[in-house]
Amino acid sequence: MTGRIVEAYIGEYASGKSESAINRALELARQGRKVNLVDLDLVEPFYTLRPLQKELSGLGLEVIAWKTEETLGLGEAGAVIKPAARWALRREGDIILDTGYGVEGARTLNLLAGAACDPDLKILAVINVSRPMTASVKDIVAEVSAMGRVDGLINNTHLAEETTVELVQAGARIVADAAAILDLPVVATLADTKLAEIIGPADCLGNQVRPLQRFMPKAFW
Amino acid sequence: MSEELVIEEKRVFMTGNEVVAWAALAAGADIMYGYPITPQNEIMHYWSRLAPRYGKDFLQTEDELSAGFATAGGVMAGRKAFTATAGSGSVLMQEPLAMAEMMRLPTVTVVQQRGGPSTATVIYSQQEVTLTTMGGNGEGMRVVYSTAGHQDLYDYTIKAFNLAWKYRFPTFVLGDGYQAKMREPLTIYDPEKRGITLLEPDPYVGREGEPGRDRPPAQYRNTYNLEEELYEKLMSDIRDFEKISTEIAEYESMHTEEAELVIVAHGIVFRAVREAVGNLREQGLRVGGFRPVTLRPLPAPQIRDLVDGLKKILVVESAYGQIARLLKEAAYGAACEIHTLFKPGVGIAAGEIEDRVKEILK
Repeated sequence: MTGRIVEAYIGEYASGKSESAINRALELARQGRKVNLVDLDLVEPFYTLRPLQKELSGLGLEVIAWKTEETLGLGEAGAVIKPAARWALRREGDIILDTGYGVEGARTLNLLAGAACDPDLKILAVINVSRPMTASVKDIVAEVSAMGRVDGLINNTHLAEETTVELVQAGARIVADAAAILDLPVVATLADTKLAEIIGPADCLGNQVRPLQRFMPKAFW
Repeated sequence: MSEELVIEEKRVFMTGNEVVAWAALAAGADIMYGYPITPQNEIMHYWSRLAPRYGKDFLQTEDELSAGFATAGGVMAGRKAFTATAGSGSVLMQEPLAMAEMMRLPTVTVVQQRGGPSTATVIYSQQEVTLTTMGGNGEGMRVVYSTAGHQDLYDYTIKAFNLAWKYRFPTFVLGDGYQAKMREPLTIYDPEKRGITLLEPDPYVGREGEPGRDRPPAQYRNTYNLEEELYEKLMSDIRDFEKISTEIAEYESMHTEEAELVIVAHGIVFRAVREAVGNLREQGLRVGGFRPVTLRPLPAPQIRDLVDGLKKILVVESAYGQIARLLKEAAYGAACEIHTLFKPGVGIAAGEIEDRVKEILK
């Protein structure tokens, strides 16, 4: 088994951060690894991992998120970081961090104890080229540049049920062009399980394809 | 230097609030005035991110009263101005928007309904129907589109600007927290490339020329000293509104002709109705669906036809009878039974509607 994996998923609103984080955590858990999935979303808190906690715990993940009975006002009254989430990097096993959206979401990592010096931490920006704010190379470069430290890009180009293989591949090319300008690696292309099967283990540019099972339709929004 | 806005027609993936911001850009809106409230915040977030890029403006005011009055002011200065709000923010906006009614100002307001009364939940409801259609101390001289998803939010936000500037009545796009936050694909487009002419705004005040010599003076009032004077003014507006009502009212119907029971709902709830109607018809039940798209003015002649030719309707809404009250007024005198499924402040799934229909038809 390879060493400790620590990944933080950041990105634009509705870019697929939570979906990416959940699926990555499950992928690692299926390999028999101990995985902590941490809800660090203070921008729009409680909506993604909170309602899925039970299901995800049942799938073998250690989920660190507020429970419904512990929350107040569903974010309207401000959100407090869960102490266990703040100290998540001290936990044993892999650590997958789901953050809030945009620049403010990425800044939440400043609250994470030990984030600045963790040798394994990779901050990954999730990009969906079907979203108008990140539709072009120029837009992606501007978006990612504003986010502070980023260690890699993830192509999560999709149109929900309307996604096609061509769309995912077109997204891969645009994300790769942006990554070249930003001097960052493309870590993976994500695709719905069925499409991932058609595409195969690598996308048109040779990036790893990670099959994605959708959990968000069962979450809050 | 601002960029020229180019909206290529294509399928995209967005949240509803973002859709509104892009639609306002596509409609040629100049400025948004707003005050934050969940669940409409991302309309402001995205507009304020996009606005500087395309030479548009944004002003965050100190509260919703101010946002409403500033929108009225923007319109009077000849700008396509809009605002967005929800819940208790909508309550505060009634005063400025009633002024807009009185002064015939083409304000555009997007309401993303949340739970009520008061602060309640930040999430979802259809409890702002009464407020949006008839709020304010007047006669409800306003146009309200109730949307059922992202394509509607895009299409009707664009339409709202044109309609407002054509007829000079405050116009509303009534969404809800689910539509605001949920994500789904839609087609964005440049309306002019689809043959929709975007109306140019013109200023109410500060026009060229000497008032009284080159042009009539610009006098817009929300105050009348004499009741006869007010009566004359109001009746003229009411006649204008009634005249355009049949022209602008919109609806959607499915299988209403041969139905034994028609399910009536508006907005996002109609998506559950579409599914329920499909499922029930597959089971051999003669069920149809009817959705008023404009809640003000209602498609009254179509509602009349519906209830005159039917034995039963079922009104379904995430409120305790707000759309039902409007429907009953339009259906007054008909012998048709009106059944209800009211769930104030919570979502309604197709299965619940199907169960209720089976109970009624048993």
